[in-house]
Amino acid sequence: MKFRFNITGLDCPNCAAKLAARIEAKDGITAAKINFLTEKLTVESDLPEADVIAIARAEALAFEDGITVE
Amino acid sequence: MKKIIKILKNSIFRICVGGVLFVAAILAHGFGMRSFALGLDVAALLISGTPVFIDAIRGILRRDLLDEKFLMSVASVGAFFINEWSEGVAVMLFFLVGETFEKMAVKRSRSSIRSLMSIRPDEAVLLTAEGEVTVDADDVKVGDVIIIRSGERVPVDCEVLFGAADADSSSMTGEALPVSVKAGDSLDSGIVIINGMLRCRCIRPAESSAASRILELVECANETKSKEENFITKFSHFYTPIVVGCAILLAILLPIFKITTVDDAVRRALMFLVISCPCALVISVPMAFFGGIGGAASRGILFKGGNVFSKVARLDTVAFDKTGTLTNGNFKVRGVIPYGVDKNTVIEYAAAAEQGSNHPIAKAVAAMRPRAKAPEFVKELTGEGIIASIDGHTVAAGNSALMRRVNVDPPKNPRGTVLVALDGVLIGELIISDKIKPEAKEALESLTALGVKRLAIISGDRKDNVKAVANNLSLSEIYYELTPEQKYEKLRELISASRSTAFVGDGINDAPSLASADVGIAMGGIGQDSAIEAADLVLMTDNLAKIPEAVRLARKTVGIAKFNIFFALGVKLSILVLGALGITGMWLAVFADVGVAVLAILNSMRTLIFRKNPYR
Repeated sequence: MKFRFNITGLDCPNCAAKLAARIEAKDGITAAKINFLTEKLTVESDLPEADVIAIARAEALAFEDGITVE
Repeated sequence: MKKIIKILKNSIFRICVGGVLFVAAILAHGFGMRSFALGLDVAALLISGTPVFIDAIRGILRRDLLDEKFLMSVASVGAFFINEWSEGVAVMLFFLVGETFEKMAVKRSRSSIRSLMSIRPDEAVLLTAEGEVTVDADDVKVGDVIIIRSGERVPVDCEVLFGAADADSSSMTGEALPVSVKAGDSLDSGIVIINGMLRCRCIRPAESSAASRILELVECANETKSKEENFITKFSHFYTPIVVGCAILLAILLPIFKITTVDDAVRRALMFLVISCPCALVISVPMAFFGGIGGAASRGILFKGGNVFSKVARLDTVAFDKTGTLTNGNFKVRGVIPYGVDKNTVIEYAAAAEQGSNHPIAKAVAAMRPRAKAPEFVKELTGEGIIASIDGHTVAAGNSALMRRVNVDPPKNPRGTVLVALDGVLIGELIISDKIKPEAKEALESLTALGVKRLAIISGDRKDNVKAVANNLSLSEIYYELTPEQKYEKLRELISASRSTAFVGDGINDAPSLASADVGIAMGGIGQDSAIEAADLVLMTDNLAKIPEAVRLARKTVGIAKFNIFFALGVKLSILVLGALGITGMWLAVFADVGVAVLAILNSMRTLIFRKNPYR
């Protein structure tokens, strides 16, 4: 399944790419991409949506302050 | 307590307080109060830099020592250890100022592009048994009846049931002229009703309506990266480690070879750390394409990815389909050649036979006599024509193949498109042609002026018809009477001989050609799923002038992206060199990092200005 979330509060495109790589490295996530300019996080995963968003949020929290995923 | 933390986190507050303390420290230093100055500088650094330090610790925890925040922290704290206190504070302050500007610039760009794209209304006025109810546009179902008043946007794709109005589709198609709509017409969502009131029936829910599909296309377009974007992403992977490596080498080697003191070597090394952040580079290029995609979309030109821009910018060959592309697809009977009867007889019988058919050519014939006699019997043979029985006579109207089927010898070189036979005798030919689009000539000339060398027409139509179109336009080559497979082969030939080839079609039956060309250009909106899937560039109207416009837009966007690369790299490299030689201070290094990013973002916004300078 492909999920799309809004992700706001990222500082720069470089950080966005790093965060996406970290989400992608998690178990159960096939692919993760962040488009810094449109503020969209696209995740491919077989997990249910709630799990995917929880993973994304946990990674964002460990990454930088003030990032929201919804 | 929470409020205080929020204020302390606010970057503008941090910049102001940090700035005041910074200035006070310089004054204190001037008056010889060294330890007081140090105290002020430390306070300034802590107040302005704490959130950065926290992020830096997070970076260390995830073992990312090339994190921007970590490098900035090392640089500013490091400056304190070599007794360059004010430099240390300045690095942090400039970094914050630059970051704030960068955020503002990105935010502005985002909102200006989004406002170009605000074509999807949130609400719809639904007509129910209880009267009018305002609902969420997403809740309108197929078959629901909605009311649209002047000044409102069409919320979902719908069909007009009642009423008449003028409609402005400029935000969707870039066409400035309003069109009038009446009962029976279909309306795309996103169009604005200028005056009048319409009662419409929803034919597609909001999520699959035109406006949503355009937005989705534009948003997804950002995901296909251009050559320039890929270059800069790859480059940034190497850039940071190399610069940080150089910084370490400088700090070690310069004192060893006694070129300078340890303190000065460390200072130069710290400067390298400041410049090592790749953000200015990484943001400069995608921003240009983001702007280009948004700016083009507002003009009714949808680029399906960043990679399309460079291909469009380099076009040297453009191949056109004929019907519906160079011509407007409205067939008209332009001449009648009778054989032994008068013209009217030919027309009467042909129109009577063809009136029931939906074929565009049959419609053109039937249009000659709107009240033709009704046939007693009709048989349509796909690809050949029609056999009908009228007043007891057998009429055949179609091509040579149909004539042979009814045992009539067709003329050797028929001049007309439709041959008409009455009771087994050829009575005439009808010359039918399509009109060339009024803007075609100028559009092709513009393409030539833009450096497109080969302009070809690839058509399945008969030689005479294709030549008639070609003679009026400045085409460099024409190919006619081709089967769909031959068309495709011809296109492959053109592609292999060119730098970049575009194929322009209306999306009906030409998906393979659209897909195989370097740039597949589908004209006439986003109705045809297969065409959008296969095309690289979708034009919201069938106006040919949009093609040279797309080329100009693409060139401008690619130019801006390239300039941004050279500018960001150039500034960074020259400051690296100056820094290694010990000529510049650290604050200039900060400018090289964030200042360049801001300038690149602002430069990217020029891709939107195209809008205010419309083509011609």
